[in-house]
Amino acid sequence: MADGAASKRPLSPHLQIWRFTVTLAASITHRGTGVVLYGGLLLMALWVIGLALNPALFATVSAIIHSPLGFILIAGFVWSLSFHLMNGLRHLYWDSGRGFALKTATMTAWLVYIAATLATALVIWAGYGGSA
Amino acid sequence: MSKKGTSTFILQRASAVLLAPLSIWFLFEIVSALTADYATARAWVAAPWNALLLGAFFIIGALHMRIGLAEIIVDYVHSWAKDVFLFINWLAALGLIAAAAWSIYTLSFAG
Repeated sequence: MADGAASKRPLSPHLQIWRFTVTLAASITHRGTGVVLYGGLLLMALWVIGLALNPALFATVSAIIHSPLGFILIAGFVWSLSFHLMNGLRHLYWDSGRGFALKTATMTAWLVYIAATLATALVIWAGYGGSA
Repeated sequence: MSKKGTSTFILQRASAVLLAPLSIWFLFEIVSALTADYATARAWVAAPWNALLLGAFFIIGALHMRIGLAEIIVDYVHSWAKDVFLFINWLAALGLIAAAAWSIYTLSFAG
């Protein structure tokens, strides 16, 4: 609790007793991708700072970008942005008070995973000049 | 948290609405920009529309990510460290905005 003392009040059910569902997974993934994008934007800031002010920094960042690690970072960032964008639209739709029916929410959760993965494949394929 | 729940809620949604089209543009451009060589990448950022959209993506993204991470921090950190994390979170967002704005400005007008 706020004062740091142990509470005697009952806690709400915790992580280990929930039945796993795709809507639950999408909720966690939304947070996870948000954190990935946070880190990704900070790394992109290094890229743009290097580009504008420090060629040596740009050379280092560029070397990482062109390594296998760089490919994984870019693919992870693109998938995270695709997922967070599409699931974010799902959240905005919920903010309008709609889309909460169990069947609808389950269907849109699957749709977001599938569409984000397809979009990532397309962005990576096109971004690497249609050859990767 | 201070008594700013409503304005934070609105800023989170408003920034999300702006970031949606910006993100689509970003996804179309970013891989070729990031993998470009020094001169090509500088020219890409310096192009007026790219500078405007990339700057908007960084600035609105920084505001959006600060709110999102603050939400996670207050969910999981209940000790004194919460305020430290929230402060670092603010610094990261402001630092990102300053670094991106200064870099893009330099590339646009002094490059």
